[in-house]
Amino acid sequence: MNADPEATPKGLSPKFEKAVLLWSLPWDADWITAVSFVGPRHVAAGNNRGDILLWALPEKPEPAPAPEGKAPPAADMGMRPLHAAIAPARQLVGHTNVIARLVCAADRWLISASYDHTLRYWDLQAPTGANTRVVLNARAIDEISRNRNSGRKVPAPNEAQVLTQPSAKSIEGREWVTSMGLSHDQSALITGDDAGNVTLYNRTTGVESRRWQVKGWAQAVALAPDQKQAFASERYPLVFDSGRHTGAKLWDATAGTAQHDLAPQFKGVQIAAAAYSADGKVLAVGRGGEADGNNGKVTLLDPAAGKTIRELTPGHQYGITDLCFHPDKIHLATAGRDTLVRLWNFQTGQLVKELGKPRGGQFKDWICAIAFSPDGGHLAAADMAGWVHLWRLSG
Amino acid sequence: MNPTHSPGHCRPHEHLSRRALLKGALATTAGATVANWGGIFNTQAVAAEAAKRGKRCILLWMNGGASQLDTFDMKPGRPTGGPFREIKTKLPGYRMCEYLPKMAQQVDKLGIIRSMRTQSPDHPDGIYHMHTCYKQSERMPHPELGAMVAKYLGKADADLPSFVRMGPTGNAGAGYLGPRHAPFDLGRTGALPSFTSPYLPAANESRRSDLWRFMEAEHRKERGAEPFESHRVAKERAWRLLRAKSLFDTSKDWPAHEALYGATDFGRGCFLARKLVEAGVPFVEVGQDNYDSHADNFVCHKANLQVLDPAWSGLLTDLERTGQLSDTLVVWMGEVGRTPQINNRAGRDHFIRGWTIVLAGGGIRGGVVYGATDADGRDVAEKPVSEGDLFATIYTALGVDPRAKHYVGTRPIWATPEGSKPIKELLA
Repeated sequence: MNADPEATPKGLSPKFEKAVLLWSLPWDADWITAVSFVGPRHVAAGNNRGDILLWALPEKPEPAPAPEGKAPPAADMGMRPLHAAIAPARQLVGHTNVIARLVCAADRWLISASYDHTLRYWDLQAPTGANTRVVLNARAIDEISRNRNSGRKVPAPNEAQVLTQPSAKSIEGREWVTSMGLSHDQSALITGDDAGNVTLYNRTTGVESRRWQVKGWAQAVALAPDQKQAFASERYPLVFDSGRHTGAKLWDATAGTAQHDLAPQFKGVQIAAAAYSADGKVLAVGRGGEADGNNGKVTLLDPAAGKTIRELTPGHQYGITDLCFHPDKIHLATAGRDTLVRLWNFQTGQLVKELGKPRGGQFKDWICAIAFSPDGGHLAAADMAGWVHLWRLSG
Repeated sequence: MNPTHSPGHCRPHEHLSRRALLKGALATTAGATVANWGGIFNTQAVAAEAAKRGKRCILLWMNGGASQLDTFDMKPGRPTGGPFREIKTKLPGYRMCEYLPKMAQQVDKLGIIRSMRTQSPDHPDGIYHMHTCYKQSERMPHPELGAMVAKYLGKADADLPSFVRMGPTGNAGAGYLGPRHAPFDLGRTGALPSFTSPYLPAANESRRSDLWRFMEAEHRKERGAEPFESHRVAKERAWRLLRAKSLFDTSKDWPAHEALYGATDFGRGCFLARKLVEAGVPFVEVGQDNYDSHADNFVCHKANLQVLDPAWSGLLTDLERTGQLSDTLVVWMGEVGRTPQINNRAGRDHFIRGWTIVLAGGGIRGGVVYGATDADGRDVAEKPVSEGDLFATIYTALGVDPRAKHYVGTRPIWATPEGSKPIKELLA
């Protein structure tokens, strides 16, 4: 592959090597499982309980206070945030189970996929509802309160007043909706669920346009920019039983028929994340699941031929959780159970930058999800420990 | 340091001396020595009485330890709850996991013990303990539940083995009851071992066995020792088994039952178990792998429960349909439960302070939920049940005396540890 300088949008010249951690936003209620930017100045995150919070990023942030005593948890990421944490502005209410994915369309609509079998649309320009209080360190309070013998002092509640907002639209599914992607022109949505459905929707209306079935559960899905092709990985994660199944296929999205069976390339491998590049010439898929050990590699595929272009190494130890292409059409970000975010030049295969560091211990606090801001200047990462980290990429 | 015990030395109560073993050997009228496998004088009459009742047992073994919080003791809305949701069951007020919808309609047949508090937290010791009701650390080789049931409910002259198991199952064997009650192991899908296929034509095999019997009889006149007799009995049992071999072949009747049990190895194993108990096998164990979900607990359990639900409910339905349920006890358990705390591998670890076991069918009062754990499932809140209590309940339901005494040498050993009590509320 050769880099095409003309393909890089003007104004997008990220200097990943100078990435700076701007904010570490605390939300320690449960694992934070999904994250998305909403326009350039807002970020939304969803957690294991089905809650979604929205933060407005200030143009003139306060500097971070000097650390007292022990380093704050954000120091585990290998650096301290530049700015003081900010409080969330809204709570989006309605989901009742894990938020699996968040995507944003037209800088206005936040769309969420959940284990409660639904997709929900949130209009962030709509009026909000009542005020409510959220405790941003609820899990720490609960754990320390239960373990009185630990000698740790129960922290004071870190409270924030937020405006609540119900969803504008809800689409009923059939099982856990575990994956969701948005077409590059934002006109179509693709989802995969544990009933084995791969479903396409008109993003604007929320009307289902096509659905087909994979064997087992659909795990990672992606829709090509021209919307003519889709990728879906599948699994049935039994151990030792003859019913165990993993697979990956490229589908004709207009007919719901299989084009390429990638099983020979990915035998026994669970593909946990997938995305097409903006020009549709590269499909990146990430190997997930703990069983694969150090082999949480990204494979770049030629989607037209269904052939491997190259693998990006090293892999994320214990598996990849998420990946996304940068708007500059040159770079790709990956995140994994090893608590690392990696930035790659996917055209050369070079690892450009590693954000964070392994936090010690086995499988400590995965990075569950990552997202680039629409202008490519920022990266957000959501983790199990209850933080949303925001980096500035442009130096 | 424990002053009564030095490393490398047995504790007195664990010590079985050579003298004691010799004392336990019996002298027969022919002058042969017979090992006292389980004290045959004391228990033959008890066994004959129990066998008359025709009770049978199927153990569904959840290898690795299924999560109580994701099945029968859910904690919705609590930090330990996880993403599975509850559904209504046939039992008013009792809810269970959404991925057991068929079992939710069978709750009126179940005795659900939600207050297991056990002692062995890891796999080898837990598997041993939950198959024998004794700790693995004891020097005495205790028999598995299946061997004990085989002894008391099996028929010595039956063509079929009395203790059959398939898939991942127990690790203790017949213990002090001796090889006569040892398990007969099938493959994961119920396939017979390869040695059951004769390598000679039937006529040759018959001539060969007649010759072998003649030589054995001649040999026995001079040397009547127990090992020779044991070997002879084993050979005869093997030949009898070959006569009944066709029973293990499910290829013809499985298609008609696949929808009921689910098209899985475990479902097929449950179907074979039903066939075997119908044919008179008193104990069949069917194992399901693998619930040991230290990582990715929820996808692991979701996949496993979707196999378990049709298989288990299909088994209960089929037993009921064929009129066998009232005489067949179905036990659902593994070696441990799983921690309420969800670890940072999205897993649950081993847990023994409050977990769930389910009984159904013969001798069990259905629609009973016994015991409870606290709000987060971190400990038993009501009516703790030990391994011994569980086995006392199982034995009582099967008509076996839970305090049946056996001897190894001169040492008496009971079917359940001292102090074990059957759970009366669960007994029909």
